[in-house]
Amino acid sequence: MKRVIATVLAVAAVVSGCSSDPEEKPASPAEAGKLRVLAGSELADLKPVLDKAAQVTGVRVEFTFSGTIEGSETIASGKADGRYDAVWFSANRYPQAIPDAARRLGAQAKIMTSPVVLGLAKSKATELGWVDKPVSWSDIAKAAAEKRFSYGMTDPSASNSGFSALVGVASALAGTGSAISAAEVGAVKPQLKGFFAAQAMSAGSSGWLSEAYQRRATGEDPGAKIDGLINYESVLLSLNAGGKLPEPLALIYPSDGVVTADYPLTALKDAPEHARADHKKLTEYLRTPDVQRDIMSRTHRRPAVPGVELGKDFTAQTLVELPFPATEQAFDALLMAYFDEIRRPARTVYVLDVSGSMEGERIEKLRGALVGLTGANNDLVGRYRRFHGREEVTFIPFSGEPQQPVTFTLPETNQQAELDRIKQTAEGLETEGGTAIYSSLERAYQHLGAQPDDGRFTSIVLMTDGENNSGLDHAGFQRAQQQRSGRLKGVPVFPVLFGEGNKGEMEDVAKRTGGKVFDARDTDLQKVFREIRGYQ
Amino acid sequence: MKRRISIGLAVVLLAAVVVAIIFGSGGDEAEPGQQAAVVRGVGGSEKAAFFADPRVVAVFGKHGLKVEFDSAGSRQIATTVDLGPYDFAFPSSRPAAQRIKQDKKVNKVYTPFRSPMAVATFTPIVDLLSAQGVVHKGLGEYQVLDIEKYLALTGTRWDQLPGNTAYPVRKNVLITTTDPRNSNSAAMYLALVSHVLNGNQVVATPEAEAKVLPPVVKLFIDQGYTQSSSEGPFEDYLAAGMGKAPLVFIYESQFLDRQVRGDGSIRPDMRLLYPQPTLLSEHTLVPLKGQGGRVGELLSTDPELKRLAAEFGFRTDDPQAFLDLLADRKLSAPADLLAQAEVPSYETLERLLNEIAKYYR
Repeated sequence: MKRVIATVLAVAAVVSGCSSDPEEKPASPAEAGKLRVLAGSELADLKPVLDKAAQVTGVRVEFTFSGTIEGSETIASGKADGRYDAVWFSANRYPQAIPDAARRLGAQAKIMTSPVVLGLAKSKATELGWVDKPVSWSDIAKAAAEKRFSYGMTDPSASNSGFSALVGVASALAGTGSAISAAEVGAVKPQLKGFFAAQAMSAGSSGWLSEAYQRRATGEDPGAKIDGLINYESVLLSLNAGGKLPEPLALIYPSDGVVTADYPLTALKDAPEHARADHKKLTEYLRTPDVQRDIMSRTHRRPAVPGVELGKDFTAQTLVELPFPATEQAFDALLMAYFDEIRRPARTVYVLDVSGSMEGERIEKLRGALVGLTGANNDLVGRYRRFHGREEVTFIPFSGEPQQPVTFTLPETNQQAELDRIKQTAEGLETEGGTAIYSSLERAYQHLGAQPDDGRFTSIVLMTDGENNSGLDHAGFQRAQQQRSGRLKGVPVFPVLFGEGNKGEMEDVAKRTGGKVFDARDTDLQKVFREIRGYQ
Repeated sequence: MKRRISIGLAVVLLAAVVVAIIFGSGGDEAEPGQQAAVVRGVGGSEKAAFFADPRVVAVFGKHGLKVEFDSAGSRQIATTVDLGPYDFAFPSSRPAAQRIKQDKKVNKVYTPFRSPMAVATFTPIVDLLSAQGVVHKGLGEYQVLDIEKYLALTGTRWDQLPGNTAYPVRKNVLITTTDPRNSNSAAMYLALVSHVLNGNQVVATPEAEAKVLPPVVKLFIDQGYTQSSSEGPFEDYLAAGMGKAPLVFIYESQFLDRQVRGDGSIRPDMRLLYPQPTLLSEHTLVPLKGQGGRVGELLSTDPELKRLAAEFGFRTDDPQAFLDLLADRKLSAPADLLAQAEVPSYETLERLLNEIAKYYR
């Protein structure tokens, strides 16, 4: 995530100054003509529009990116007070459901809209008989349960597109005609399990998901090709317009309804007066018909104001909007059921550097980061990113050579005893000796190769703070990866850069395995470990 | 935004409703050349377009004032918005104004605008509901939504209505409102349905409150997420159409305003229904400090401002200005609205809203 954010920030930084961590960096001072906005990372694509807006209105946007749930928690905790003037997520449904966040939201104006829909490779959509024909979420869930197609979707606790899809499909399957309640979640679990059985890829952000889909489709990534994506219509249309896909995506708008993001640019209630005036000036400008058309043609998002005709890329089909629950209770029931019972469980190997250089503060941080995933901090984000029911977690600590793997399997319910075991093991990590990165990574593949092919989401986290100085070298890893069997070859490795970790080598490992590098050199390791959870 | 100024429009004095007069509101005509004094107000989003109109800005300018208007939900204004920076509050209903008046110990308020609550919908929906006996013709050239019959249909999904091929959607027949926790139009919906659920009587006893609460909670909670100001769902109605919001509870003025603008946002298949019974929302200006009272006074007395208010679809004490506008623009809306429901007292409404809010936890 960090790297995507860093790229995105580099882009956005031209519009304005930018910081990547909502809580660690000092607040940017409030000043007239500058709007400090806590926003979803996908808004980086508005840069040209916001550049022009700054020229015309004199109001510059300074973005800090965050996920919706994380951002809502920042607002609710009061940490946004005085630090941001406005928030801009794909929807206000989540913060509005948390009373302490809701009461801090002020004037809001919708800027653009995009429904979350299913995009399937055209041949697959044709094979399923889903082209130019009404398809309901029940049809989709049924075909998914029969594994007639596979798809990627973002982690619903990390990204709004995944969250919208989860809530939408649950509401549609419940079929009560009204917003799904916490009590109704139980009844739709079997159907939801069928629906999510076909999910073949998860990600912490909509942008990375669509890039990874494209890389797999073109064969650039070793992972198995997947048939489609659940994502914003705008992301799917952009993929098609990019022209890099071997075959375009057919967009399927379920007949029983979709959930639409409406991007409300929302002033915070306690923002200074000049900021509220700037917010008004900017939103009025962004909502003028010409700017709405500009946004539509650049980003493939629909206009939010009446009277602006839809471009010809958009379907003429009437989109039914599913009712979306309004309570945190309903969201929580759905998310917890998703993680503990519904989704395909994960199998993750953590290859952990405990060499001599990790001694002191570093090993403390590593222990803390792992303990953080056992639910020790029960804040909102921590609650959804901890190890969940049915999950299989293996630790391979290493120094001059890999230690014996230690595996934990969490039961569907009553997970505390196993979580405590993980916690104890993490707290017992001790440092000594050299750094055998690649031999230890090979040990992880060996472990995974010995496990049954039981449909788990499988990945490796490789955390190291230095250069490889023992055992197999980087070239050896490259050779081994080339020779690996199909199933293991596609297992993504998520290297975590820490201390003096070798950036170039780690990027190569990520690239060759279809993974992604996470940089913990300037960010709290616990945050990074949480972030990776969205991809597991 | 540019509007054709109607020449045939009769200019009629609209009397301000002055709730209590103890102190005069001060403030005189500006001397020519004097710089306009900034007056800041906060109120329901449905009035934002009026204050932003260049002709309205010009009239205030003539009187030496520059009005800056921020939108916020009426109930938010009455409860959580920091009113410190504002010279006046302009909520969309009398109960919210009453609360601010009490809190801020204001003596004199103005009610320059009023607007009946209405339901914006589409022709296929009107046809379906007519077949169910929920919609019928009113006394003039307008159609009526029978609230009692509507309530009886709310547990039903659209796709369960017999012979429905026009809108076979798996969603309940349900009016979309704003968030009852902070917006006035949702409170008006509560007032309306509670009146009908209570046997066409205003809810005024603990027994009546207990009786109406479970069904009204369902009418809100079943909608799921709702937006906090009345422009939100109306904009969805205009921009996203029937799939998102087939029935939207709005102020009549919102619809008329768009019709008068003639900007094409009201398409030929869009219809406005008047609930039976009807309910009037009284936009009430509460002066807080400085020149706030002067704004209320001008809105109530200045003939040009009153004429412009009618162009934004607002009704006043004098029905003629409104009727002339309709005639001039060839629009139709009921001249008189019979069978008006009564808004419960501020205390009753607050108690009900607070009870409903508990179900959002």
